[in-house]
Amino acid sequence: MHIHSRFCVTLSVACGLLAACSDSEGSVPEEDFTHEGRGVYILNEGNYNSGNSTLSYYDPEKQTIENGIFQRANDRKLGDTGQSMTLFGNTLFIAMENSGIVWAIDPRTSRVKGSLTTGQTEQMINPRYVHIVNSGKAYITDLYAPYITIFNPTTFTYTGSIPTGQAITYGYSSTEKMVEWKNRVFTNCWSYNNKILVIDTRTDEVTDSILLDSWQPKDMQIDARGKLWVITDGGYNTEHEGFGDNIPHLYRIDAETLAIEQDQPLDADNASVAMALSNDGHTLYLINNDIYRMDVTDSHLPVRPFIKAPTDANGTRHKLYGISVDPASGDLYVADAVDYSQAGTMYRYKADGTLIHKFRVGINPNGCAFIP
Amino acid sequence: MRNRHIVLTLAVLSCMGTSAQRVTSLKKVDVTATRRLKDTGVQQTVLDSAALHDNISLSMADILTKHTTLFVKSYGRATESTAEFRGTSPSHTQVTWNGMHINSPMLGTVDFSTLPSFFIDKVQLLHGASSILMAGGGLGGGIALQTAPGRTETNEAQLVQGIGQYSTFDEFARLTLTGRKWQSNTRLSYSTSQNDFSYINPDKKVDVRDEEGHIVGSYHPKERNKSGYFTDIHAMQEAYYNDRQGNRVSVASWYSHLLRGLPFLSVDYKDDSDFSNECGQHTLRTVADWQHTAARWSSRLRAGHSWQRIAYDYTTTRQQAQTDITHSRSIAQQAFVEGEGMLMPHPRWQIEAQMQVGYSHVRSSDYSPFHQGDNYNRGRMEYALGTQARWRPVKRMGVALALRQEVYGPEWVPTIPALFADYLLVENWQLVCKASIARNCRYPTMDDLYFEPGGNSSLKPEKGFTYDGGIEWKRQWTAFTFGGQFTAFDSHITDWILWTPNVKGFWQPGNVKRVHNYGVESMLHGEMVLPRGWKADATANYAYTPSINKGQPTDDNDQSYGRQLCYVPRHSANLTVTIGWKQWTLASGWMFYSRRHTTTSNEVDYITGSLEPYHRVDLSLEKKWQWKRAAASIKGQVNNLLDNHYMTVLSRPMAGRNYAVYLSVTPQWK
Repeated sequence: MHIHSRFCVTLSVACGLLAACSDSEGSVPEEDFTHEGRGVYILNEGNYNSGNSTLSYYDPEKQTIENGIFQRANDRKLGDTGQSMTLFGNTLFIAMENSGIVWAIDPRTSRVKGSLTTGQTEQMINPRYVHIVNSGKAYITDLYAPYITIFNPTTFTYTGSIPTGQAITYGYSSTEKMVEWKNRVFTNCWSYNNKILVIDTRTDEVTDSILLDSWQPKDMQIDARGKLWVITDGGYNTEHEGFGDNIPHLYRIDAETLAIEQDQPLDADNASVAMALSNDGHTLYLINNDIYRMDVTDSHLPVRPFIKAPTDANGTRHKLYGISVDPASGDLYVADAVDYSQAGTMYRYKADGTLIHKFRVGINPNGCAFIP
Repeated sequence: MRNRHIVLTLAVLSCMGTSAQRVTSLKKVDVTATRRLKDTGVQQTVLDSAALHDNISLSMADILTKHTTLFVKSYGRATESTAEFRGTSPSHTQVTWNGMHINSPMLGTVDFSTLPSFFIDKVQLLHGASSILMAGGGLGGGIALQTAPGRTETNEAQLVQGIGQYSTFDEFARLTLTGRKWQSNTRLSYSTSQNDFSYINPDKKVDVRDEEGHIVGSYHPKERNKSGYFTDIHAMQEAYYNDRQGNRVSVASWYSHLLRGLPFLSVDYKDDSDFSNECGQHTLRTVADWQHTAARWSSRLRAGHSWQRIAYDYTTTRQQAQTDITHSRSIAQQAFVEGEGMLMPHPRWQIEAQMQVGYSHVRSSDYSPFHQGDNYNRGRMEYALGTQARWRPVKRMGVALALRQEVYGPEWVPTIPALFADYLLVENWQLVCKASIARNCRYPTMDDLYFEPGGNSSLKPEKGFTYDGGIEWKRQWTAFTFGGQFTAFDSHITDWILWTPNVKGFWQPGNVKRVHNYGVESMLHGEMVLPRGWKADATANYAYTPSINKGQPTDDNDQSYGRQLCYVPRHSANLTVTIGWKQWTLASGWMFYSRRHTTTSNEVDYITGSLEPYHRVDLSLEKKWQWKRAAASIKGQVNNLLDNHYMTVLSRPMAGRNYAVYLSVTPQWK
């Protein structure tokens, strides 16, 4: 055989072999899931700019966990930086901040029912939280846009937006979590900010705001008596520059009068802060290094924690990242992000603080949605 | 833009259309290598201009991927690409250009995608302990990039035009003017690309709905790489003077401007017409060098300055007014003066010493609401003192001792000692066994210490302890050459500086990790010259690099202990084969990286926990012409011949099969 021909044959065979053993990044077969009874979705926000956010499903009866269930059910990735989940009837909304999409999935099958992307709206940039006003109207807050997007949560269609009046030059115009009292929706402005905005749900307009002394309000709850509880992370401060004083604060604000009724500083020991409320709206749970529990009528946070953050053999205290309360059972779900770059751990406690179960989920678990 | 391509093409054709074709055959010369005392025990890989000047579209990131065992973490062409030796981190690779450190004083890394290989004439990779001879802090190794005068004794110009898919145009021009004692070299390049390659996106799916809105089907969409465009301009002027009495003086100055879009993630649903995410940087580096060489001693004086301005903007025009999401500016400057002396009191003894004084300054600004102005504005002095003694007690054996002391600001780094030895086992095979052992330290970067928010001024230097041993050989016959290297290494790094997110949402560095790296590096090389104008050349590299976290666990839920570091492949390999026949050259390159974990706990069942192994094949065919006063070539290149879909970084797709053509002409005159 001529040397040219031999070379071509050899090259062709080599190419064929290499192509045959190629392991390319690709799709996964779709799996069928049918979740019966009560269940818990856990959102793992992943790492920013990595596209590795995932969704886990936990069966509290069987104490079984299905990780990566969104991708397994839908053969597509959940996206980058999962921020929050909101349950509305038989639809679970998942806001994927840096992907610019809000997914709507069927919580019984984990299958996608619809979505709302930045391209389908006029102002949305990085969606953070979804709040359902009624079956025809829902709000989406944003990390960057000085607008709150309005959409129809039944048809998943964009219907309008609310200008927040926040400064739009240089970066953030963040709006975050939303809670509703009568015809008012309150939203906290977290990033580089210290405001709570008040939106009238009848006119879809920002009608008022509350200015806090402490910077970066991070989480909010509204109790059964119409008291707005706000926790700040205290912002950031060093000898060179800063905004805030690093000290987290807990505020109680009257939702009717917008008056600040309580203001107490919390532990500043590099603490993550998060809050959850019992289903009856009378008990507040709070992460400030450890887990604290207080009645909403109490005048201050108790001195002793309700549950101490787990510590390992070397005395290292686990850094707790998120807290949720199961409205049906009252069980507490507390997230430990470990080193922020591996599967996190969820602790499930009874309402009396007894540990029921500990299980591994995805990277940076930050919240739960409870399926009745 | 079209005009400049036409002008260059006409220039090329006009140069080609003159003289008759003539093939010049060079007589083969056998070279007997002499072991330099300076290389005693040194583990190194040298890449020459044949590899570096293969084609104009290649950056140093491509060269290192194709020809070495380093792991290059790349987001694609003209996007950030870093290189890691022996399973360490990119900041553990110290890089110099003509003797000047070019690691960013802010990040400690070098973006090799910004260094076109046509602007480099020689690359020396110093593995492990050997990097101490070049710089401290190379816990993985060091890379010395050098420019050099051309070997031509005539005046010469070179024009290269590359045209590739995705609206990619590369133009390169070089003018070499040569006198009896001097040479001037001017290089210019201009590259532009939309880099908007298409790919089937496995991370997204489009649902097909019926008239009632029910999902009746779905498919993975064909998407394009959004925001991958770039414009890359380089201009370099070199001047060399050799008085032929032992004095050589050179000055090289390199300006570059890179404007590049930062590609969107494969899971990003935003539209790139609404968002602009781009980085622009201007860089100017200048080095002056004087060397005097005598029979038994030599001296050298070098000085240099680099200035780099980086602008990063992420903006949207979706609002009624433009919103700047990110709006940062930074200026980094470095200056250095270095003196070096070498004395050979006896042919078997060599003593060498270097002293370097440098200054780094960074002004980093962020125009987000509460950082209007400087986010830090700092400078620091940096000093280094190094000395080496080399001794060859018998002809076959050499030993060397190196000591290095570095100071940054007011902080003294622990003294860096290193010991090297080699022994010639078989003379006609040039079979040499080598060993080295060293302690090394890398001090924190300016960002590590001062960046607001997050900088940690109490950081300690990272400390490494490494030892390696291996063999290398080269056997030459009349028409055949066979050589290779095999090295086993073991190293431990403590106080590894790692940035992790904190509870406030920003990242902070800390001395947290202890890492054990070990493994092997190997290389085989063969060349064959056959009758009737045939020749063949093949080089294969393979590295096995476990890089194991041995640090204190974060807490008892931490499962990262004993696991491979994120994004470090255990196995990497490449093979280049070149077959030549007269003026034709067929070249192929194959590269392989094993699975890379994306979580510190290495969970393989975690759905985004690892990236699949991948390999890639490139193929090119080149025809050269040689005339009396000019040479020319045309080359066709196929990248990713097998059209593999792969990612080197999560959610960052790489281009599939793509094509390019390069036309080159080199006129020469007296």
